[in-house]
Amino acid sequence: MKKLVLFLFLSVLLASTTYSQEGVKYGKKLTLKEKTPISELFKNPKKYAGKTVQVEGLIVKVCEQRGCWIDIASDKEFEKIRLKVDDGVIVFPLEEKGKNIIAEGVFEELIYTKEDLIEQGEHQAKEYGTKFDPKTITTGKTEYRLKGLGAIVK
Amino acid sequence: MHWRKLLRILHRDFGYVAAGLTIIYAISGIAVNHIRDWNPNYKIEKTSLILDSLPKNATQEVITKFVLNAVGETRELKNTYRSSPYELEIFVEGNSILVNYLTKEVKQEKVNSRFFLKETNDLHLNKPKGIWTYVSDIFAVALLFLAISGLFLIKGKNGIKGRGLWLTLIGLVIPLSFWLYYYL
Repeated sequence: MKKLVLFLFLSVLLASTTYSQEGVKYGKKLTLKEKTPISELFKNPKKYAGKTVQVEGLIVKVCEQRGCWIDIASDKEFEKIRLKVDDGVIVFPLEEKGKNIIAEGVFEELIYTKEDLIEQGEHQAKEYGTKFDPKTITTGKTEYRLKGLGAIVK
Repeated sequence: MHWRKLLRILHRDFGYVAAGLTIIYAISGIAVNHIRDWNPNYKIEKTSLILDSLPKNATQEVITKFVLNAVGETRELKNTYRSSPYELEIFVEGNSILVNYLTKEVKQEKVNSRFFLKETNDLHLNKPKGIWTYVSDIFAVALLFLAISGLFLIKGKNGIKGRGLWLTLIGLVIPLSFWLYYYL
């Protein structure tokens, strides 16, 4: 019995070591051979909307509560894109902030009305215990993001 | 061997194997249940200070070294990022530092994972995926076996038809009533 417990423990340990050498993988295996610069997505959003793309960049923000989204810095200064993943399907730990990522996802164009944004702001304020003034929202907006499918963080 | 005796032996042995996993799932169950009230995985310490000065016309590298020195941060530098023309983010192992060139304000966000709790939460929410998915599936089946076999372990005076029946029904009525209350 002792040998069985030891064998199980060592097997898991060995598997985890091999795992870490390849970088940390999240979600589905990457399939695309070519990367698309993030700046290119913002430049021609209509061309890429609904298509699966592969991007590379620095993780600059991670969802604190659930690890359900990350912001990836663009190749263009001061620009970034949000990669949103389904809750629980992929979970990004906070430790990944500041590391490089290669990710694949569907490029989405999200159109929000003024009412949508107010509802969103109120929900976020409630969730994070912050203040939100609906008067700050004067118009709707279009947002671009990636619906994350898989990624490798190194 | 009588079937009830066999059931007791199996229930006991499955119970031994499932004990560790049950404890892990129970602890993290409480932790993630209150995710809106606290962060069950990390302790996040947010602080802010205003520097007297910042190096003028300096490179990003020089400013980074200056700020790290000013806040006494010695851990390994991971990367830097310009989030706006007047902001620089410095990523250090376990710390994110946001520097505002205009106000000279330095905001720090130190992250420490909660020992043991984070690991149990990761397993509970099946973060590792892969083989762990099947391990937890087997565990779920084992729990199912423990629950059902538990009903028949000791016959008692009235078997499952007496007090056992009522207690089992209470266990079923509790979640059912809540479901009806919230969703009907």
